[in-house]
Amino acid sequence: MFGNPLTILTLGPILAGFAFMLVAWAAPPSKRKEISQYIRLLIFAFSLLLLSLSTLMFLESYSGISWTSLALNEYVYDNCANAEIAIEAGGCSLVDGFGVSWHVGVDGLSFPMVWLTTLLIPISMLVEWNAKKGAQFHSLILMMEGALIGVFVSLDLFVFYTFWELTLIPMFFLILLWGGENRKYAAQKFFIYTFTASVLMLLGILVMYYFTRVPVWDGNLTGRAFDITLMASSSNTLGSAFLGGFGMQKAVFLLLLVGFAAKMPSVPVHTWLPDAHVQAPTAGSMLLAGVMLKMGAYGFLRIAVELLPGAMVHYQLLLIVLGMISLVYGAMVCLGQTNLKRMVAYSSVSHMGLIFIGIATMQPLGIAGAIFMMLAHGIISPYLFAVCGAFKHHYHTLEIGSMRGIAKFSPWLGGHMMAAWMGSLGLPLMAGFVAEVAIMIAFWMAFGWWVILPALTLIITAAYYLWSMQRTIFEGGDEGQLPDSLHGDEPVDVSWHENAGMFILAVFAIVLGVLPFIFFDMMSSYSNEFVTEVLLDVLNEVMP
Amino acid sequence: MSTLTLISDPQTATALLPEFTLIVGIALLILIPNLGKGTFRLPIPNTNIRIPYLFGGERFAFTSSPRIPGVISVFTLLFSTALALWSQMEEPLSDSNVWCIATTGEAFNSCAGMIEPSLLKIDGFSRLLEIVFYGALMLCGVAMWSRMPATPRFMIHAQVLAGRREDERIAKLLDNRRQVDFHILLLMVALGMSVVVLANDLFVLFIGLELASLSSYVLVAFMKENDEAPEAGMKYFIVGSVASAVGLYGISLLYLWNGNLQISELASSWQAMDSIDPLALAGLAFIVVTIGFKVSAAPFHLAAPDAYSGASSPVAGVLATASKAMGFVVLLRVLVSITMPESGEAFWVPVVGLLAAVTMTWGNFGALSSESPKRMLAYSSVAHAGYLLAAVAALGLNTSREGDHVVAELIVAAMLFHLTVLVLFKLGSFLVLSMLESEGRGSKLEDLYGLAKREPLIATALFIFMLSLAGVPPLSGFLSKLLLVSGIVDATVHNSMTFDDGVIAAIRSLHWVFLLALFVFLNSALSLFYYLRVGWVMFFEDPPTRKRLVYAPFLRITLMLCMVGTLAFGIGPLADHLLTLVSNAAETFFG
Repeated sequence: MFGNPLTILTLGPILAGFAFMLVAWAAPPSKRKEISQYIRLLIFAFSLLLLSLSTLMFLESYSGISWTSLALNEYVYDNCANAEIAIEAGGCSLVDGFGVSWHVGVDGLSFPMVWLTTLLIPISMLVEWNAKKGAQFHSLILMMEGALIGVFVSLDLFVFYTFWELTLIPMFFLILLWGGENRKYAAQKFFIYTFTASVLMLLGILVMYYFTRVPVWDGNLTGRAFDITLMASSSNTLGSAFLGGFGMQKAVFLLLLVGFAAKMPSVPVHTWLPDAHVQAPTAGSMLLAGVMLKMGAYGFLRIAVELLPGAMVHYQLLLIVLGMISLVYGAMVCLGQTNLKRMVAYSSVSHMGLIFIGIATMQPLGIAGAIFMMLAHGIISPYLFAVCGAFKHHYHTLEIGSMRGIAKFSPWLGGHMMAAWMGSLGLPLMAGFVAEVAIMIAFWMAFGWWVILPALTLIITAAYYLWSMQRTIFEGGDEGQLPDSLHGDEPVDVSWHENAGMFILAVFAIVLGVLPFIFFDMMSSYSNEFVTEVLLDVLNEVMP
Repeated sequence: MSTLTLISDPQTATALLPEFTLIVGIALLILIPNLGKGTFRLPIPNTNIRIPYLFGGERFAFTSSPRIPGVISVFTLLFSTALALWSQMEEPLSDSNVWCIATTGEAFNSCAGMIEPSLLKIDGFSRLLEIVFYGALMLCGVAMWSRMPATPRFMIHAQVLAGRREDERIAKLLDNRRQVDFHILLLMVALGMSVVVLANDLFVLFIGLELASLSSYVLVAFMKENDEAPEAGMKYFIVGSVASAVGLYGISLLYLWNGNLQISELASSWQAMDSIDPLALAGLAFIVVTIGFKVSAAPFHLAAPDAYSGASSPVAGVLATASKAMGFVVLLRVLVSITMPESGEAFWVPVVGLLAAVTMTWGNFGALSSESPKRMLAYSSVAHAGYLLAAVAALGLNTSREGDHVVAELIVAAMLFHLTVLVLFKLGSFLVLSMLESEGRGSKLEDLYGLAKREPLIATALFIFMLSLAGVPPLSGFLSKLLLVSGIVDATVHNSMTFDDGVIAAIRSLHWVFLLALFVFLNSALSLFYYLRVGWVMFFEDPPTRKRLVYAPFLRITLMLCMVGTLAFGIGPLADHLLTLVSNAAETFFG
């Protein structure tokens, strides 16, 4: 049960994080600083170990496992394959009495997210290498890694929801204890928004639980189970096993939509994001934008779309509208921002809208593009926030108008800003471009010339990125202009660890832009399978 | 004659072993602290021969230690719990494990074909509840070890009487006396509650109820150095005794109607009625009022917040867990065992359903607006009573479907599970407050400020208790609510239900009790606010002092055990074991 690499990836960091936290806490005050430094190194090594584990799993796709031939409801590293039999045999059940099982597995949808998480954790540690109270800071990040991976690998709604809530706790503390001046307000807002949304999501999950009949096994008191694969087999075809039929599907879909949309976040439930980002420490922002937002998109695909495809077809237009509003509104708001980090935060809202649109095209290419967007945004937006963090750290300000010509003072910082900004606006040969093109093509296939609407929005995206970049690192004549917040100090360039972290992100943004197929193949095989096996059936059934 | 049989009959003795242990414990509590250097002068003239008989006189250091009474009572309860648990270890469902005690005091196996009336019935259901009661009281006993010194008033008096060394000794002795009083009452409560849950006859049940209630009135008022305690005890006593009197009147009406108070006889008479006899209905209604007071259901809950906030925290915890469990047993006995029809809906469903909705909403709004953590917990206990009442209402629907598991058993199992795990996290949070109380705090929310900075582990424990009370997965509080709602859903939702005409139409096609499931969910969401507020102030406000809390090692260990239990009974193998235990108990309740 616990020999599975996914189990190690999930529970390992959580337990290790706890252990490191305890050691750091129990250390005698005289030696605290020294011990703290050792712990930081150990944590970093541990996270690298996890990264190499997930990379090894990925490399197996070229030898052992063929990731590209996964059918729907088939998972790699599945510890509980064929759940109906396995759970009854007691192989993976946690509580028989009400049908909770430790069921983990990855497929073309979740594996890129797992790998992304393991990659971002060491990088975010690297970028904020010198955080105060480093041992606690880094062990919180390590705990967060376990919870995040748990969300992506669990195939049991109960465990999924538990990990989903568990991610809140470390992030909450990261914002509250290491955040900016207004951190209490931001942490509270973050918690209230996401918690309320997840309560609605819980209601949706519970309705699914209560209304799905699974084969009753011995010792199951309620005659139900949280297992996603069991649920999928009974609800995919709108079968009779799902009580309440199609109308019920729609109601549950809306509940789940609210829960996931608030996490993504999509307009109109996005307002917690800018506050949380501006107040969060750099590493927190990187993980928030890089992985936590993807939880929303991932959960939406995995649960709402996969389990309730009929409702998905029904609400296609709603999703398109929501996505378009997020895309356009996010971009427009970016134009008006004066704070770099706030602007980047709103650009996330805009990009998440694009993911919604990609899913809602219901084309194999669109869904694959949306998943690739999740990966690309997961690499580029941490890059953006790392740059913002460097500005905050070395120039003590994030106001766009207050500094000019920074490239002269900090050439490395200027270079990174340029690379990150270009990557995010969708420069060809960088990861974001691939995703955008895939989504646009799918949009054209689904809706024809309406594609002009989202395509034109990309111009706004380019506008706010280029404009803010120009004002910050160029302009200002030969002397440039240093911000007042520097108080006349000598400007410095990024430190080595920031530089290293950002450099790795840049490399991956370009590698995935030039060779997208290393991940795109598994994504498109997943989406192909999903569309041909599930959505087409539903389309024929629901809309004759 | 019968009294003798009760003790001499080996079968009876085995069947009632946990209860006899309690009686032995009470006897020991009376005896041991009185052991001393007492002597007896032989009544022979002109002699001064004294024979030591170890009773009275100057007490031994050992027997006058303030720790002794607590140790005796906790170990008695521990022993009784172990015995009760042991009796359920093997073949919990077989008839050989069920005993009925007749009026002659003889024990009969399996109760089947008994001609004589039986007074007590021992089965998996009653044993499980006994474990709950003993567990709760045990936690209360442990918490009282490190509290409750004799009042300063007595100390002053003692100082006048004796010198400095004497002074310390007498203070110790007075402490010991006070502990003895408390722990005897505690064991009395345990005995009364056992009688309630074992009773097979309404009159025996009432005796047990009174034994438990009267002792608990005193326990509420016990901390007399606190100004609020006597007031709280008085209030609780007056309201409680009125409620008991009403219940007794109800029982007498039932007797007038049936001429017999055996639960099985009452049930068969009830079944035989064509239309409901007003006499029986009135009797039943009066009994329900008593139960309403015991489980603190609105609108009979009004004394509860005052009583809880005035009583010392561990006692309040007992009221919120064991006392409530006892109330629900009586409710199940009266409503389900007696008045449940063969098929179709029971007539009381609308009343109980309405009570449930009002109780949980009132409780949550009360908790939302209360500033004292103890009052907040009291109101949250009212809300929890509402959730359980909702399950009882679903039980009254009497749903049964072909090829499905037995809905009624699921509901009773869910209730039992809830009452069991409630002991861990409800009483656990009262224990934390008890630690604060020992330093004179705990009545205001400000007292919890910054607890995490003073005692990180204990603050974490309290936070987990709060989350569990709110029902956050994967804690046991979530599991119990999930099971309760499962029961309600199973009782109301039918396979032909369709949502194709919209959600509203679909819900209207269901029995209205289904709405209670939604109510439970909405109320739980609402309750999050006040539970999380406790967490917030503990972690993010500045503490009034940096000092650590009282050093009470056993209480701390108990708290940690409660925290681990709250987690372990929510997910993992332990949860499965407990689920098996409660579903067996539920099966024997109907079997």
